[in-house]
Amino acid sequence: MGFAGWRRRWWRRWAAERSGGGSWSGWRPGAGASCGGECGPEPGRSPRDPPQPPGWGSRGCRERAGGVRQRRVLCVHPPCRDGQDDEQPETEASSKDGCESRPSPKELEELELLNRALEKALRVRKSISKTPLEAQVALAEKPTGEGSAFENASEQQVPVSGRDVPVSREARAVSKKPASMKKPSPYQLRAPYRTDPDVKKTQRRAPARCVSQGPRTAGKSSSKGAVSRQGKSHRPASSASDQGVCAATELQNAPGSSKSALKEQQSSIRDSSGEGNLVAAGRQLIDAGKKSCGSHGESSRKENPTAEGGSTSPRTVTIQQQGCQLKLPHPYRKAYSRNCRAWERSRLCQTSADAAAARKRFTERIQTTFCSPMPALSPVEIEEELKVLQDIPSLLSQYVEAEPADHPTLQREYESLLTLEGLQSTVSQCLRKLQLLQAAVESQKRLHPDCTGDVGSCCPACVPARGRACGGAGTLAVPLLWYSSFQELRDLFALKLQVSMLHQEIALQKLTMTELLPVLESEACPEASAAQLYRAIYTQLCEGGKRFPVLVRDELAD
Amino acid sequence: MVRKGPGSAAGRAGAMPGGRALPGAVGALCRAMPPRARLVPEGLRRAKLDRPQATLDFWRLLYALLKQIHGGKWSEADAIDTQIRFVKLALWYQGYGRPELYRLPSDGSAGSRELLLAFSWLLHRISLLEQLLARNRVRTGDETSVCMCEDDLSQSEQGTTEIAPEYGPEDRVDVRYLQWLNGRLRFQWRSLHAQHQEQCKLLHKIHLLTSGSHVDQILGHFSVTEMDLIRQTENYKQLVQLLERETMQLEAFLEWKQLEPVYWQWMETVLDNMAEEGNMCKPQDAHIEKSSLPKVTSCCPWADSLTGQINKLSRDLMALRDQLHELVTHRKSAWEEKPAERRRLISLQRQFPAGPCEPVLLRVRGLGKEATSEMLELGDEAKSLGAHVKDDREGSPRALVVPSNEAVKCQIKIGWEINVTKTHLKGKS
Repeated sequence: MGFAGWRRRWWRRWAAERSGGGSWSGWRPGAGASCGGECGPEPGRSPRDPPQPPGWGSRGCRERAGGVRQRRVLCVHPPCRDGQDDEQPETEASSKDGCESRPSPKELEELELLNRALEKALRVRKSISKTPLEAQVALAEKPTGEGSAFENASEQQVPVSGRDVPVSREARAVSKKPASMKKPSPYQLRAPYRTDPDVKKTQRRAPARCVSQGPRTAGKSSSKGAVSRQGKSHRPASSASDQGVCAATELQNAPGSSKSALKEQQSSIRDSSGEGNLVAAGRQLIDAGKKSCGSHGESSRKENPTAEGGSTSPRTVTIQQQGCQLKLPHPYRKAYSRNCRAWERSRLCQTSADAAAARKRFTERIQTTFCSPMPALSPVEIEEELKVLQDIPSLLSQYVEAEPADHPTLQREYESLLTLEGLQSTVSQCLRKLQLLQAAVESQKRLHPDCTGDVGSCCPACVPARGRACGGAGTLAVPLLWYSSFQELRDLFALKLQVSMLHQEIALQKLTMTELLPVLESEACPEASAAQLYRAIYTQLCEGGKRFPVLVRDELAD
Repeated sequence: MVRKGPGSAAGRAGAMPGGRALPGAVGALCRAMPPRARLVPEGLRRAKLDRPQATLDFWRLLYALLKQIHGGKWSEADAIDTQIRFVKLALWYQGYGRPELYRLPSDGSAGSRELLLAFSWLLHRISLLEQLLARNRVRTGDETSVCMCEDDLSQSEQGTTEIAPEYGPEDRVDVRYLQWLNGRLRFQWRSLHAQHQEQCKLLHKIHLLTSGSHVDQILGHFSVTEMDLIRQTENYKQLVQLLERETMQLEAFLEWKQLEPVYWQWMETVLDNMAEEGNMCKPQDAHIEKSSLPKVTSCCPWADSLTGQINKLSRDLMALRDQLHELVTHRKSAWEEKPAERRRLISLQRQFPAGPCEPVLLRVRGLGKEATSEMLELGDEAKSLGAHVKDDREGSPRALVVPSNEAVKCQIKIGWEINVTKTHLKGKS
């Protein structure tokens, strides 16, 4: 539609509102905001619009907010051990009491069988490097044979009885927890990823599916009062639910019931893991579930080649669970350690005395050949000094404001007087410094090469200052930024964004002031629209475009 | 580590100190350079001999290095005169003052020795190697900047003039367009915020779940890149190669740090050569130098913007100065109205640094008279601090016992000198 068409629409709407008897109700407080808000999400508009001024709008945002430089972010205290228990009961209202019930002996038996089968699967998997598929498929038959009750239940899961699965799963959770020796901790995820390209292929397909579900469920679970401490508790929930979802979809069962299974699982796991080792329980649960899913995956893949790699989707999730056991690939590890050590040595390396002396000699000699009245400060130094001075006036006026008008004792009064005198001398020092800087600018301007008439050529090279990282020059150390909780990280991101936004707002405010205020003072607008103009400018400049004052026409009755 | 080619060539060009170690130093320097800025030892040697063929390469090298330092975008296909202009400006910006360099022709036909000098000066002045290494560091981790520097919007080059091209100069801008834009902008910020929070959440997830798995014990957990590396190892072969190359670069850097005195001595010989030649050509250059001085420089935007900033700061500071002046005069006159001896005491007080409140015995001597209790008039303030008159052995109230630094707060009657000798009492009196 382009801008012109949009404008026409806008005018039509405005006219319609206006024609309602000369009332000003067309613009309610906050109307502007709502207009802005609703204009924002209009989908088709953004790509087609004439350049939303890139300098102002999105490009500016992107450059500033997206600039990443040289710091590392690091978690130092994964708060996974403390305080989980108190948060558990708060989160999920729908707690299922089923977990409190004792699992029946029959189910326990089934679980035993299942465990054994899965252990065997694990052993076989480890020993096979080339043909995991056939082996797993072969294995898939076995658990189906042995742990028949469970398998059948989960295969005919939903149509038969949606409750079987959650019950058995939660029962498994409960029973496994006290057992806890079945923890398949030697299971390494490394092998499949590196040595088996086939497995990797399916794995790649799966995440595309599971990722979409993953964040959703993760989002769901984490939206329920997500604090970092709960993070761990949510993850087993989300992964189990993922797994539940994947299994369900893979077996092509009704999704509705899988969702209920999902919720029940979430709640069951959350409740059951309230006590004891959450990680272990989660891991066991997921591994067992994963194996079952894996076996499902293999068998179904054998039958149905077009079924998407649901088998590997739990594997993606289990990365989350097995994160502590993941290992980087060997070539990378080697390269990384060597690189790290080289950096460390470089950082500690210092210029020898000989080298320093030699450098100094050379530099002094070459500087004698520079232009004779060399200004004291180079342009880069001038800019740095100026940057330091930028905040001084506001700081000093803050100090001045902070001095109270009267004082309880003579002593305080005297001290206040001394402070003010000190501030006075600081101000005069700064003024002197500014004069020096101005003189330096003048002398550097004289030396400026190539600045004869062609303005365009200066600009790109004069910008070099902006690109400089404001860390110290030549520091080879990249400081680690440690954060200790999720909230801190979030605050860091949010505050940085806010600073960028405020910088932009300040710049915009300056620009709009210089642009809009002359309009008020200049030529007369038609009387009818003058008030609107004033209001608009007032809103933009004084209220940040957020709040609109109500215009009331006060007509004097004669 | 003596290499045949450059080593013997350098020997031919004239004896220089450390002829053996020089190729090593130069080689290390070249290997420590970033990959996009190629430098060969042969190029350095030719530049010392001021060979014109080496000039273009040297300009390009300086261009690449300075662009990397200043963080701009560049490509090797940029025109040579653009490159030369940029290098000259950047060198001026850093404070390089050899006029000969600025007089070099912009087709890159001559001047390799000048460029060599400029290069070496940069090496020292801005720690070129270290900066390049730091800037080009291979990023394997999650990084964020904590720099709060404001990029001045009004100075950004091209973007600001692209507003609503459909407006001609006659058209009036509808203020509601501004409002719409403003709302849109706020919406964009909000969605950016939401996305950042989402990213932050996922980042935290990875950090949390992979803690303890990393090779590097200090880091402890994976970054996003490493996480992806595990899942799709084959996409990251290049990363491994980059790491290895950077390691080699760092090792070359360390080697260079060992050998660099030799290089600087070699550079001094370059200066020596130039000085010799310069003595011969001096009379010719003198008038050339003068003629190059007049510059119009009325249009330097850098200077203008800085001057603008300086003026603004000066205005603010002068306003503050006036305000302060008024305030201080007012306060001073109020202060002058206070009783003189109190003022003196308080200013005396400032000479005594604050110390522990040990009791102090003050011997008060009148002018030739013995102090009587009337003379020692303790003000309320002093009394509240615990000062009291202590009778001497003779019974005459000569001594004051006062908390130590509060001694000066004691009021004295006008006319009496107080001769204060502080004697710290041991124990309570």
